[in-house]
Amino acid sequence: MSEQRVGNSQNYVFQFLLMALLITASSIVGYAFRFTGFPETNIVIIYLLAVLMTSWLIDGFIFGILASVIATFAFNFFFTEPYYTFTVYDPSYFITFIIMTITALITSTLTSHVKQSALSAKEREAETKAVYNLTNHLTDAKDIHEIAGTSVKALSDCFDCNAAILCFDSNGLPELSFIQQITPEKQVRRKVDDIVTLKHRIDGLRTGYDTGTEFYDWPIYGRENILGIIRIPKERAQAMTESQIKLLHSMIESTALAMDRFMASEQRLKEREEATQERYRGNLLRSISHDLRTPLSGIMGTTEMLMDMTESHDPRYSLLENIHNDANWLHSLVENILNLTRLQEGKLILNKQMETVEEVIGSAVNRISQRAPKHEITVSVPDKLFFVPMDAKLIEQVLINLLDNSIKHTIADAEISVSVKKEENTNSAVFVVKDKGTGISTEELPYIFEIFYTSRMKSPDVKSGIGLGLAICDTIIKAHGGTIKAMNRSKCPGTEIIFTLPLEVGNNE
Amino acid sequence: MNKFKECILVVEDDTQIRNFICYSLKQEGLNYLTSGTAQGALGILVSEQIDLMLLDLGLPDFDGMDVIKKVREWSEIPIIVISARDQDKEKAAALDTGADDYLTKPFFTTELMARIRVAIRHLKRQNGSNAQSIISVSGLSIDLEKHLVFLNESEIHTTPLEYKLLALFFKNIGKVLTTGYIIKEIWGVGYGTDTQALRALMSGLRRKIENNPAKPRYIITEIGIGYRLKDE
Repeated sequence: MSEQRVGNSQNYVFQFLLMALLITASSIVGYAFRFTGFPETNIVIIYLLAVLMTSWLIDGFIFGILASVIATFAFNFFFTEPYYTFTVYDPSYFITFIIMTITALITSTLTSHVKQSALSAKEREAETKAVYNLTNHLTDAKDIHEIAGTSVKALSDCFDCNAAILCFDSNGLPELSFIQQITPEKQVRRKVDDIVTLKHRIDGLRTGYDTGTEFYDWPIYGRENILGIIRIPKERAQAMTESQIKLLHSMIESTALAMDRFMASEQRLKEREEATQERYRGNLLRSISHDLRTPLSGIMGTTEMLMDMTESHDPRYSLLENIHNDANWLHSLVENILNLTRLQEGKLILNKQMETVEEVIGSAVNRISQRAPKHEITVSVPDKLFFVPMDAKLIEQVLINLLDNSIKHTIADAEISVSVKKEENTNSAVFVVKDKGTGISTEELPYIFEIFYTSRMKSPDVKSGIGLGLAICDTIIKAHGGTIKAMNRSKCPGTEIIFTLPLEVGNNE
Repeated sequence: MNKFKECILVVEDDTQIRNFICYSLKQEGLNYLTSGTAQGALGILVSEQIDLMLLDLGLPDFDGMDVIKKVREWSEIPIIVISARDQDKEKAAALDTGADDYLTKPFFTTELMARIRVAIRHLKRQNGSNAQSIISVSGLSIDLEKHLVFLNESEIHTTPLEYKLLALFFKNIGKVLTTGYIIKEIWGVGYGTDTQALRALMSGLRRKIENNPAKPRYIITEIGIGYRLKDE
């Protein structure tokens, strides 16, 4: 700072000397005119020329004003009688003095105005050109780091310094290293010392830039978040004039636009890809489900037909029954696999609506009863109409899976029950499915909600309904923001599965 | 039992499924015609006296949905869709386009036969005495002329909306009515798609006619699709 001030004062001395020289020169010319007998008006004109040249050559109109006053006094001193004094005999000279001063003042002001606007026009032109060049180059960039590199190069050229840039990744976190221009042709990557503090400082920024020890950092604001930081070396940043800072802002703005545009197109591309994949997956699932269901329908229908043709005490009848049961089992496996694929691989989109628990339970029980008419399922729901936000189809699936398990592990006529009640303190709906079946062994209890877990205690060729069914329940309930747990009943044999659904809509996906 | 045998058109491209459906129909004492294509089915519908159509949606030449649309332009015969498509949206779309019932593959033949019986009974009811004003389903009856509802001979008081809803079901016994259709019939086209009012209305009605609303005997919920008044 002090160095600059010294430079400035030296400059002032030089400018003052220049002005003095010009006025002295015009005085000498004036002498020559008087000597040759030219009229005094010419001498006044010469002084006016000196004032004009002063304001032309020297910046700022202070010198112009000063020159006009000095010129008037000089004319008075050297060329009006009595000579070499500031007194005047002829009062008409006062008019000359006043007019001369006013003319000189106006001339100098106009001149410096013209100079000033020429200068700012030039600055504007340079700024426009720099930003235009940058924008031009940025359009060619193929990725975010190329944009960063281009921008750093332009900044370094424009401000004649080793500018740097630190990009933020798509999560809005700074990258581990930043790009710096070290020579006009070469860029290097340097490690960021303390990312966390830096990020914290940039986030909490109240002014336009952050003052660090090596760099001043200007954040690049994108449409949604901060895209990176432009780093200008401290000394250079301190020496920046108002118009340079304006230029810097324009260039940062262009960089931000380019980065935003790039990210937006990237995002669009990704979305399109995802949509295509989603469509493929949908088609695949649909065709698999169609291709598996159709032959299974054939097998099941045909065996049913054959069973119909056979007397029930015929040994062939039980063989057919076995085929039918196996096909049925295969069918439920296929359904479960399809369901699980839909739930886990695709983003599970819940179609949540306010549903009455009685309808969902009623529908599930109705379906199960068709499959297992020998089992009696008791149902209890609150007397008061009870609405719960849920995807009814999926919760029905959960209930069907749970009841299906109960039926498989419970003899006919033994108790199977479904109940639901509202729990005020957790603000949730609590569903309980109970049976008096074989129960679950303690070793297995923690794993039953895992995918493809089948009972280890039984020999591998025993078909067990556990496995996918409960994993599906788990996925669905978690997607609703609820909980599910299984336990053995304490007072009697059998299993008790409890799941909850929150009563508040939203805040989970 | 039947004076004339109903003729059923089976439209299905899978031979095995077609075979056992036809076998079951024969067992039931019904006549049938078959077609593996949509074109063939439309030809038969024009030239023969068909009482009911079983339709697979995945046909080799046309989509089954287009067949429903086309048939509904000139005929009101009951259509039961049999399809491997199990998404609710597709089911509801088929029902709203004009199908009377929907069965997902694989299905039990007993279930299919039950649905066919319901459809035929419905058909007879419509063709028979039009003036029939009292309809009843296992103990629950409605007098469409006097606007009265009876459960096991004793009168039940319903609100006007509940009556309107129940009457709608009695006019469509055994048929699945989609939520969208019911809302349109009860509240009108301008009401939109909000289902909560219907759920509440249904709950009120069930509390009057069912012993346990969560284990309904009469009006069955088809989650994601709609409701059905059980016939039997």
